[in-house]
Amino acid sequence: MSNKRRSRLELIFDILLAIQNKGGRIKPTHLMYKSNLSHKLLNSYLEELITKELIRIEEIENRKKQNISKLIHLTDKGSGFLAEFRRMREFTDAFGL
Amino acid sequence: MFQLFFTPEWFNGFDIIFEGIILVVALLIASYSYNIYKFSKENKFVYFSLAFVSIALGLLFKMFTHSVLYFSSLREVTAGVLMPITGGVVLFANILYRGAFFAEMFLILAAWLLIFFISQKSRDRLKKYHEVSQMALFVYLIFLVSFVANFQYVVFYLTSAVILSMTVLNYYKNYLNKNKNKNTFLVMVGFLFILASNIFFIFVFLYSGLYVVGEVFLLIGFLILLLTYRKIRKKARIL
Repeated sequence: MSNKRRSRLELIFDILLAIQNKGGRIKPTHLMYKSNLSHKLLNSYLEELITKELIRIEEIENRKKQNISKLIHLTDKGSGFLAEFRRMREFTDAFGL
Repeated sequence: MFQLFFTPEWFNGFDIIFEGIILVVALLIASYSYNIYKFSKENKFVYFSLAFVSIALGLLFKMFTHSVLYFSSLREVTAGVLMPITGGVVLFANILYRGAFFAEMFLILAAWLLIFFISQKSRDRLKKYHEVSQMALFVYLIFLVSFVANFQYVVFYLTSAVILSMTVLNYYKNYLNKNKNKNTFLVMVGFLFILASNIFFIFVFLYSGLYVVGEVFLLIGFLILLLTYRKIRKKARIL
């Protein structure tokens, strides 16, 4: 991973890409490692992505462990935005932004 | 009637069509950059959008002054409209044309400068106060250049050429940094054509035919930018 500080746009791209690379659903802990973000920062981004309907959270009840785990899903709108992000990135790269 | 420089008569009107096409290209790029800003909230995108809007506005002023200068019927209508203000004295009309030329040069120089600043690879560009204050100084300088260029048009194209050559250099660095990506190459070539057009415009005082060459190069430059934009956007439209 590059040492360069990622922009907000790149962070969102990395989060959505990590979910897509895991087949469209991922556990929050895995996402934290994959996107290389702190727990606090990841949560703030996830809240924003939920509001924008780019991802949705599924709560799964684990009867053995008697707890509820979460699974993050990439929505269709999220997949669409991921494609658009790639174009945005191409535009940003091409025009040196 | 006040005129900045003389152009080949047979080309009158064609340049206005060329500028109309460039204006549309500039607005397309500005609109896409603004769409990215709306999502990312990063200032650089709104500045980039502003630069292309500035080019479009500058061209609009150029199209206005050239239309009035080229076409006698339009000239008569404008003179008629101005009559109550000028009282038949041509001097005031000259001030209007000088004002329009000034607006054209100021907006286009501001656009080149903004694009140059944005293409600079500095993390905190356009965020810190001192960078914005530097820009205020440059705004003053382009104001001065635009005013002086009303009397000696070469100053405008010379300043444009200097800023554009630095921008082309930035885009060359960008091309090397992005592993010689095809789109970065196209943007660099596009700006190279725009730079070449400005160099041709400098020497119009020697041979008016160079104005035609300059206009063609300017159009090619923007068409290359349009091609890059289309290549990026053609897959689908979501934003």
